[in-house]
Amino acid sequence: MQTDEFTGDHLDVLKELMNIAMGNATASIADLLQAFGTMHIPHLAITDMDGLKNYIDDALGSYERYYVTKQLFGGIIGGEFIFVMTDESAANLGNYLYDVSQPNDADIMDAVIELTNILSSTIISRLTEELKTKVQFFAPSTEIISGNLLIGDEETLNYHKIIIVSTVMEFQSHKISGQIFILARDETIVRLRELIDQKLEELYA
Amino acid sequence: MTYTLDHCNVVFDSLENGTLVVDEECTVWSWNKWLEINTGIASDAIIGNNLKEFYPELDYKGFQRKIRTTLRLTTPTFYDASLSNRFITIPRNKVTTSLLKIMQLQVTISPYIPALKRVMISIHDISDLHELKITLQHRMAEIAHLNSELKQDKQIIDANLMIVKTDCGCLITDITEAFSRFFGFKKEELVGSSLSNLFVANKQESEFLQMKDLLEKKQKWSGEMQINTKNGKKVWMDAVISPYIDEKNEVISYTAIYHDITDKKRIELLSVTDPLTKLYNRQKFDEVFEEMLMRQHWTQENTFGVLIADVDHFKSVNDTYGHQIGDAVLITIADILEKTIRTSDVLARWGGEEFVVLLPDVDMKKAALVAEKYRQAIEQMNFSEVGPITASFGVTVFSYGDTQEKMIYRADVGLYRAKKNGRNRVESVQP
Repeated sequence: MQTDEFTGDHLDVLKELMNIAMGNATASIADLLQAFGTMHIPHLAITDMDGLKNYIDDALGSYERYYVTKQLFGGIIGGEFIFVMTDESAANLGNYLYDVSQPNDADIMDAVIELTNILSSTIISRLTEELKTKVQFFAPSTEIISGNLLIGDEETLNYHKIIIVSTVMEFQSHKISGQIFILARDETIVRLRELIDQKLEELYA
Repeated sequence: MTYTLDHCNVVFDSLENGTLVVDEECTVWSWNKWLEINTGIASDAIIGNNLKEFYPELDYKGFQRKIRTTLRLTTPTFYDASLSNRFITIPRNKVTTSLLKIMQLQVTISPYIPALKRVMISIHDISDLHELKITLQHRMAEIAHLNSELKQDKQIIDANLMIVKTDCGCLITDITEAFSRFFGFKKEELVGSSLSNLFVANKQESEFLQMKDLLEKKQKWSGEMQINTKNGKKVWMDAVISPYIDEKNEVISYTAIYHDITDKKRIELLSVTDPLTKLYNRQKFDEVFEEMLMRQHWTQENTFGVLIADVDHFKSVNDTYGHQIGDAVLITIADILEKTIRTSDVLARWGGEEFVVLLPDVDMKKAALVAEKYRQAIEQMNFSEVGPITASFGVTVFSYGDTQEKMIYRADVGLYRAKKNGRNRVESVQP
């Protein structure tokens, strides 16, 4: 498994594909939730297990309480889609989607799940569609996490080389924002590279 | 198409989970056998009707939005399965140890026939898993609470109790903040050194040997000991040293807990001390005398004696030089006797110008020799203000059946005889 062979060109293509996918996600959210937001240009990195924790710590900062939704996807390319919101943003989302000023935990979690569903399916589906492959989504789970415990030691043990795609999604008018992390490990990185190679061949054929 | 849908219904009925098909308006198009059994609603009754009629409490705004999302994105959407049930309510019949009265459901909304805006909803009963999760969360919360209490207790112990921990070889591994503060040692100054280095006591002393013996037998030791502080001050501690033993009966470590009793010891000392001479007072002497009588091992050759000394012509010292000089003479004699007695002898002021000494491990002859030594020591002392001073001595030894009164009486008889025979002499009285 030569994950190092994931070159700058591969990263550029993936970044472009992610841009398209995120545009798609923004449009879907506008359509389905009547919320008009923006997504930052995605940031891509390949790192090891230690680097993943540092990366997420840096990205999230020192906020105390997060709603974290994790959803697995499987297929030729598989990995984990993570959507992180501060409790303030999550409460605003619950308020917006459920029309209640004081949404309870269940309302908020369901709202977060709903948004994650839309984000993961649009982003990943669009990406896989571009790469001419298919994925299966598994039921997501949401939990409230304090501090920087997003990734436990036992979770990172399963990963050797990790590709991170991250971005920030914002609905400024509703004071809702969240961080998206898409994590994939060794095998997927290799397959992703092969699919991108095929894509490049198609483009330049 | 009809055949296909019928065929699908047969498949749905064979599933071990709930499956229903609804459209965007929530009209029910399929309701499988699992749902019929678990909800008590027959498929004939619900198919073709709106779900709202059967489950009006459901949040249809959110539900229809999920259906719309599923259809638009042609991808499954999900209800959050981790909290209280958000979809239809299905009663749960588990009787034993159940935390849940209704089923916890994992609900997935999948595209079914997008052209007809129909979705398939799969319902999985995850109650057992959810119960396990709730139980685990409760246990984790209890553990967190206990850990927090333990941490607080540890902080209180660290700040207030003087504790030293050692390894199995009695080398110090840790000390509490309270110990560090009281004794003036920093932790790094003590870690690695032997616990016995702190003790004032000589390592050959019986108390120390007893402690060593008990600890070697893996037993707890408790007692009083003197310890040096960093600046050399000697303090009295009530100590408990306990071994921590593993399942193989091997000592892993020792914990020594100390309690400062210096003030108590000081008061104790005052209560048994004669204020003028600083020797033991009569009360303390009586106590020690009783203890000595209780010992069972005395023989004729190895018994114990008692002597009474009385300063000769002391009344004339007081009369001639005054009581202050008289007191100074008594203090000097007490000092001489204290320096002359053997380590095991017990010296006390009996009253007035009389002193008493208990003499362990002597016979009559040896007791008289010891008394003679004391007599000479006083005789040889130069009392600058009053000139030479002498004392007379009466001595006796213990014999089977003796009491304190009998022995004191005999020593007193000896003293009377010494006075009668010219003073400054020792007279022995056989039992």
